[in-house]
Amino acid sequence: MENRDRVTHHTNHYQGRRSKSLDQRKYQDGADVCIVGAGAAGCVLAYELAKAGLKVVVIEAGPFWNPQTDFASDELATRRLAWEATRIVDGANPLRLGHNNSGRGVGGGTVHFTGVFLRFHESDFRTRSVDGVGEDWPIAYEDLAPYYDKIEREIAVSGPKHYPWGPFKGPYPYPVREPISANAQLFREACEKLGIESVVAPLAILSAPFDGRPPCINRGFCNQGCMPNAKYSGLIQHIPKAIEHGAEVLSDCMVTQVLTDGSRVTGVLFDHDGATYEQKARVVILAGFVIETPRLLLHSSTPHFPDGLANSSGWVGKAIMPHSSHDVYGLLPEEVRLYKGTPVLALTQHFYETDKRRGFARGYTLHAHGARPVGMASEIATQRADGQFLWGRQLREAMLDYNYYARITLVGEVLPNPDNCVTLADEKDEYGMPLAKVTFQYGENDRRLIEHAVVQMTQLVEAMGGKAAHVVADTAHLMGGCRMGSDPVQSVVDSYGRCHDIPNLYIAGASIFVTSGGANPTNTVMALAARTAEHLIQEMSRQNI
Amino acid sequence: MSRRSHYPTYNVWDQHEHWDPHTRQIVAQRRTPVISHSFLTRQEAMLVQTLAGVLTDEYRQEVLTFVTQHIDQSLNSPVGESQRKAGVPEKKVLYRLGLSGINEASHRLYRRDFIGLKQPEQEELLRRVEKGTVPETSAWQQVAPQDFFQKLLYDVVNAYYSHPLVWSDIGYGGPAYPRGYVRVEKGLVDPWEAKKDGE
Ligand SMILES: Cc1cc2nc3c(=O)[nH]c(=O)nc-3n(C[C@H](O)[C@H](O)[C@H](O)COP(=O)(O)OP(=O)(O)OC[C@H]3O[C@@H](n4cnc5c(N)ncnc54)[C@H](O)[C@@H]3O)c2cc1C
Ligand code: SF4
Repeated sequence: MENRDRVTHHTNHYQGRRSKSLDQRKYQDGADVCIVGAGAAGCVLAYELAKAGLKVVVIEAGPFWNPQTDFASDELATRRLAWEATRIVDGANPLRLGHNNSGRGVGGGTVHFTGVFLRFHESDFRTRSVDGVGEDWPIAYEDLAPYYDKIEREIAVSGPKHYPWGPFKGPYPYPVREPISANAQLFREACEKLGIESVVAPLAILSAPFDGRPPCINRGFCNQGCMPNAKYSGLIQHIPKAIEHGAEVLSDCMVTQVLTDGSRVTGVLFDHDGATYEQKARVVILAGFVIETPRLLLHSSTPHFPDGLANSSGWVGKAIMPHSSHDVYGLLPEEVRLYKGTPVLALTQHFYETDKRRGFARGYTLHAHGARPVGMASEIATQRADGQFLWGRQLREAMLDYNYYARITLVGEVLPNPDNCVTLADEKDEYGMPLAKVTFQYGENDRRLIEHAVVQMTQLVEAMGGKAAHVVADTAHLMGGCRMGSDPVQSVVDSYGRCHDIPNLYIAGASIFVTSGGANPTNTVMALAARTAEHLIQEMSRQNI
Repeated sequence: MSRRSHYPTYNVWDQHEHWDPHTRQIVAQRRTPVISHSFLTRQEAMLVQTLAGVLTDEYRQEVLTFVTQHIDQSLNSPVGESQRKAGVPEKKVLYRLGLSGINEASHRLYRRDFIGLKQPEQEELLRRVEKGTVPETSAWQQVAPQDFFQKLLYDVVNAYYSHPLVWSDIGYGGPAYPRGYVRVEKGLVDPWEAKKDGE
């Protein structure tokens, strides 16, 4: 009997939608659009394009998760939601990848993201003009505003009635979350003491029932996959709807090459269970995130495109950016219990815009941020900002106070630098593809920003009545690597994600960011994808592609 | 910093009937770890278990056996290591060399295997691995002591703080689906959560 559950029925290879055999694919003879990667961007595109009547195939390297049987309330067992395949990391500040920033499986990074859902501000799109750093985007905030509105409505973002920073003042479509956790309360009280405005975080997490999904139960395991389906992910929202509209999702299928015929792409090659298949399509959209998209482009070089596809500018893989994401753990006299509630329930963007007196350009967001034992212990043991390790009796005694810590986390802008990049390593993976080599180092401005934020976080912890006990050096999110621009010599794609070099190849997702902003990126990822979808539907109906 | 648990009578496992079946099964397996190993030799496994004890200041063998089992499984898994620093050998090689390096250094300094050292000696040797000042034996010419130390500490800490006995020590509420939390604000606890000693 067909399983009719709205999410899990797609995990079965069911009648008429997806055959168990990849030789009987729905669009075997050619699709209109082939999307590589079912992450934040890929899922929005699949839904919008299928709804418009296009024949859409989504090819996803990872599994089609079933929240009830694949997720768990456990940190260690849910690491597998991430892209764990080995990447070589290099540079003065080698990045922590895997669960820290890379998703794998239908839903991509949205399956284990924290759900903080912010817009970029006007200045984020014009950092060169305004502050003389970074680069301007080829679009302005106003170009994206309608798509932010659309996405926020479509996934029922919860948030405050009034939002104090940036051009969007609220209200959010769904009521603000309530109650908030002790850690978030302490953060807001401390902010108030120091004259810093704060809000309850806008979240892609339900505060009331929506579309057959229940509100959040505050179990706190957003980074382990939401079991009740209260948190948005492409897996539970856009993909099921895309399939209803006729899209086919090929999970556990790793795209290993983009195929070209002269100057156009014709489709992709993918591997499933050791066998290679071809998927033809009129348009290919690469939505494989900041590391895999450049790896695929560089690996797909041909005599016609000797330096990799879409790389005549040389910018493929360049200027990748994480957010700086130091944490301060404050030890308090009273219990806080960081495990309770949605991890981020309060934030401030008081320090978001450039303030010349601070001695650096751009700014950041601060989050009241929960923590579970594995995450906290491994951070304070192996990622300390002072470069020391914590182990033995010191670690045990620090963790016995687990319930007495508050935690604040930085999301800081990191300026683009072409030396921070994805290249191909010599070593190969099981598909014969070279491993990605990811090189990263902070610049002087980035370091000053971090120093400033650590001082603010320390003062906030002190205003709570505690003292800063552990400062952890970390990064979050990734952006860039195939940046957009109007100049084909200085960028890989235009503002719609269309490759300057290849008219029927598109790139979507965080990889097309020009700068990182100082806010969590996924609202912008999804808004850009919705904009690309609208453009593609027009172009394809006019037979322009 | 605390010398002892704030919650001596709390046992998170008492709540397991309220957990979803998938999570319950995962945590239950940690309470009864298997002793056979697939990648580590018997000697290596004993060494890992001893190192884990020193790194976490723990003596309960049931917890340390799970930590060792977790590391053994990760070494035998085809899944990647998320990231590896340029110049550092792959995890299997790093462990094999690092573990030999520990015993080579132990013999150089104390003429005995690491397992046979007194705890202060074990701590001192590990401190030298951590700082990179361990005697330069053949293994340490092939891998940097700090690279091994960081990976080992990371793996040990990840497994150790996944054990329900350790969750109980620190008063962590543990798995919380389908029940969730009702009382999340300052000073509030749900009836089943850990309560401070005597309250
Ligand atoms: C722990 C964590 C917390 C986060 N918290 C937040 C938050 O609170 N707020 C926020 O805004 N953002 C957050 N993020 C960031 C967010 O997840 C990303 O910004 C977002 O997912 C990026 O979208 P994307 O579509 O570019 O890529 P992804 O969502 O990463 O999707 C890429 C997909 O492509 C697939 N893929 C890659 N290569 C191939 C290939 N060759 N063949 C087939 N498939 C392939 C991958 O498996 C993956 O599913 C968080 C991320 C993490 C990891
Ligand atoms: S805190 Fe809420 S949104 Fe996060 S996993 Fe739990 S129920 Fe889902």
